[in-house]
Formats: sequence, structure tokens, C-alpha cells
Amino acid sequence: MIDLIIHALVIAGLIISALMVFFFRDLLAAALAAGFFSFLISLEFYILQAPDVAISQAAIGAGLTTAIFVIAIRATTRYEEGNP
Amino acid sequence: MKKALTLGIFLVLAAGLCTIPVFLTFGQPAATDMDRYFVEHGQSQAAANNIVTSIVFDYRGFDTLGESVVLFTAVIGVGLLFRSMKGGEEHEDE
Amino acid sequence: MRMSKIVRTGANLLYPFIIIFGLYVIMHGHLTPGGGFQGGAVVATAAALVIVAYSYQEVTGIIRNVAMKARESVGLLLFIGAGIAALAVGTPFFYNFLANSGLLFGMPVPFGPNPGDLNTAGVIPIMNVAVGIEVWGGLAIILLYMLSSVAKEGS
Repeated sequence: MIDLIIHALVIAGLIISALMVFFFRDLLAAALAAGFFSFLISLEFYILQAPDVAISQAAIGAGLTTAIFVIAIRATTRYEEGNP
Repeated sequence: MKKALTLGIFLVLAAGLCTIPVFLTFGQPAATDMDRYFVEHGQSQAAANNIVTSIVFDYRGFDTLGESVVLFTAVIGVGLLFRSMKGGEEHEDE
Repeated sequence: MRMSKIVRTGANLLYPFIIIFGLYVIMHGHLTPGGGFQGGAVVATAAALVIVAYSYQEVTGIIRNVAMKARESVGLLLFIGAGIAALAVGTPFFYNFLANSGLLFGMPVPFGPNPGDLNTAGVIPIMNVAVGIEVWGGLAIILLYMLSSVAKEGS
């Protein structure tokens, strides 16, 4: 029962963080939300009993991709412009 | 028109995603012969407790070799891409 | 152009611990979940933390460009060398010739769930270390190249 609750919470967090990536106008916050999305996906992999994939997803998705986004935002503007 | 098309594609994809668990039960893969073989012989042949690592580095070692070479080539490509920005303009005269 | 003092202090504090954890994942790749690629990615995350926190001029003092290139090349050469060493002893390419041999990493493993011994799995730990070093250098050098171009654009 507790497994099912954690599973449902993780999937709800996935959807919410994906929507946050879509709606944030602050690009740094959007990059961090994408990193949180990757972290939740790695938690989902761990719940589904794939710890190898969970480690690589946490390192590549939540660590390195967020770092690349932060470096790219550092070189460009931080806030998105124009109408949505 | 465009909105209706988007909604239609979304509905078709959502329906397809919802019918997958009906036909495929979770935790019961279709072909299990290779899994049985690896679980029964992995510890005696490769002498590793972690079956996943023994598959990645022993049974399917060529795949890992290809993966490493792909990573090496990707680093070389990134280095070539950022070379001109790093070196400056003095190389363009030559 | 660098981050605030909080980020820099946190990066300094976390940098050795992340490297130690990544090396643990690499070294115990044949016993616990993980392996060369995962551990190398974890170690590269430590490099990414420092690269994000500091400016390019300060990063080159902590993470040297040449050392990362050398790590990547040495890792791939060690990986291929471990494969060719199997040819030297008369077995097919990439054969696990050290398993169950009683030499380095050569202890046999009993069947079923067991606590595990580090001195097992033959050539697999050597390949784990090789791939881990290669992934560490490769991913860190990609981030360093990107940061160098950013530093050139910003100045």
C-alpha cells in the first residue's frame, strides 16, 4: 500500500515538474525544474527495480544536463522574452 | 482546425498508452530464455555477483567497446566545434 | 563571472565527497548496482559542480584541461588493452581470462545470494576502472570546452 502511494506521488510530481518547465519564464528556474524532473525519473526507475539506470539517470540527467543548461544560460539572457 | 488535429493526435496517443497495460501484464516479459541462462550461469562463468555488469562487460563486451569509442568520438567532435572560439583569430590568417 | 559565495563554498565542500562516492561506485561495480559508466558520470558531476560554480580562469586551476584529456585517452587505451590482453594469453578477443583463475581478481563465486568479495570477477573490475576514468575525462572535457567558449563570448 505504501509503495503504491509513493509511486502515485512520484508520478504526480513528474507531471507537475514537467508543467513547471513549460510555464516558467525564468530560464534558470526552468532548468532547475528539468533537473528535478530527471531526479524524479531516477526515483521512478529505482522504484521499478532498475538501480543501474537510476544511477546513470541521476548523474547524467539531473547533474550534467542541468550544468550544461546553466552554462548556456550564463552565456545568454536569463529571462525569456516575447509573448507566450 | 489545428487545435482539433492536436487534440485528436493527443487522444489517439493517450488511448494507445492506456491499452498497453491491458495486453501486456507487468513483470512478465514475453521471452525469458536468455534471462534464465544469465541468472543460472552468470555467477559461475563471469564470477561476478552483479549480473548486469557481467552482461555489459563480459557477455556483451563489444557493445561497451562501441559505446566507449562513441563517447571518445563525441568528445573529439565537441573539441572541433569549439576550437575556433577557443583559439581566437590568429589561426585564420594562415 | 561566477556564482555567489554560498554556491562556491558548497561546491568546495561537496567536491571530494562526490569524487569518493563515484570511485566507490566504479570500484564496486561487479558487486553493487552501478559500474564504470555510472560511476564515471557521478565523478563527472563533481567536476560539473565546480565548473558551474567558478569562472573559467579559476576552474583551470582546479580542473586542468590536459589532465582530463589524458584521463580520457588513458581510459580508452586501458579498456582496449584489457581486451587485447586476452588475445595475448591465447583466448578470443574480450574473453574474461582472469575469472576463476586464482590470480588477480580471480576468486570463484558461489551460486545464489552471497555478500560478495572484491577479489572476484576477473577482468571486469579492470574494465570498470578503465571505462570510469574515460567517462570522467570525457564528460568533464565537454563541459570545459563549453565553459571556455562562454568565457570567450562574455569578455
